[in-house]
Amino acid sequence: MAPLLDLRNLPDADLVSLAQEGRETAYRELVQRYERPVFSLIFRMVRDREVAEDLAQETFIKVLNHIDKYRPEFKLSSWLFKIANNVAIDFLRKRQLDTISIDGSPHARSAAEVDATSFDVVARQESALDEMEAKELGTAIERAIQQLRPEYRACIMLRHVEGRSYEEIAATLDLPLGTVKTYIHRARHQLRDALEGLRDD
Amino acid sequence: MDHRHLLSEEIDLLLDGEEGFGVNPLKAHLAQCAGCRAEYETQREVTTALESLPHFVPSPWLAERVMSQVQIFEPWHVALRDRIVSALPRTRAGRTLVFGTGGVMAVTMSVLTVWLAHRADAVLFLASLLGQRMRDLVTGGVHDVVVSTVGQGAAATVASNGLLGVGMALSALALAVLGTAFGLNSLATAARSRRG
Repeated sequence: MAPLLDLRNLPDADLVSLAQEGRETAYRELVQRYERPVFSLIFRMVRDREVAEDLAQETFIKVLNHIDKYRPEFKLSSWLFKIANNVAIDFLRKRQLDTISIDGSPHARSAAEVDATSFDVVARQESALDEMEAKELGTAIERAIQQLRPEYRACIMLRHVEGRSYEEIAATLDLPLGTVKTYIHRARHQLRDALEGLRDD
Repeated sequence: MDHRHLLSEEIDLLLDGEEGFGVNPLKAHLAQCAGCRAEYETQREVTTALESLPHFVPSPWLAERVMSQVQIFEPWHVALRDRIVSALPRTRAGRTLVFGTGGVMAVTMSVLTVWLAHRADAVLFLASLLGQRMRDLVTGGVHDVVVSTVGQGAAATVASNGLLGVGMALSALALAVLGTAFGLNSLATAARSRRG
């Protein structure tokens, strides 16, 4: 019987097979195995712990509820990172759309009403970072990463934090291989410039 | 020494630890060119810093929150297999007994089937004999019912006329049923109109 197996030593493919047979312990092991990498990727994308938790939860639910559709020729971790990246990018796009209202309500009829209904996006984002997040994201390299475009951020994270090959990143993010190489190249240069700038300060 | 400095794409190749035909000259250049080496080292610092970034830890409730919304589906064949496995004895001796009994039964059934196939003529004879007995039983039963309902004479008439007789008898029965129903309905209507 499956529950007698030590699931921690099983490769992803075997774990997925057990999950496809309806073994709850296999589902739990998959979550446990990937919660940190998935959460970290999303957290570094959205810079908000609470939002990152919600998006990580959404990622796992999407993947695990469609585990029967998993194709073994695709790495499970790539599938997870693909969904994680998509939900993070969707969130960032929505947040960007929300900023349309930074100039205040279109129904405002006076300057005071405009002021009352508008808000400063940067201030909102910074204030959302509590002390712990500020500490976690406080290192120079973390701050430099936050300055990157989201697509550069996803590529550089997958390459250097998760140790993925260029081909895997291309498959994960649905990007041409050349584009991935370009993004990583530019990201490295931007990070170098940002870190040099900090050093000069 | 190559007088050209390394292109940033070539430094990328070195940073990515690429090995191959074109990489050795790049390495040789790097060993001799202080400018390119400085550029490479700066880039290397960035990648090292990235590679040493830790994973963040989500709240301990993430797994529970995920599991509360995951629909776990157990395919029927897995459920069946589990049911069979759980129904089997847990001890080795018990399982041996179950599998042994099952094996003996399977062998016996197989031998019986082969024997029956081999003696197909006898089986067919027995089957036809049984069929005849059943037919006689049913016919006799029906005859008894008809005699007790319409009497010996009517039954003999119906039987002597074959299918035509059966058809006429059924038609007469249908007419009698319809007539009775019509009569009862007329009586009921008359009674209602009198009360009204």
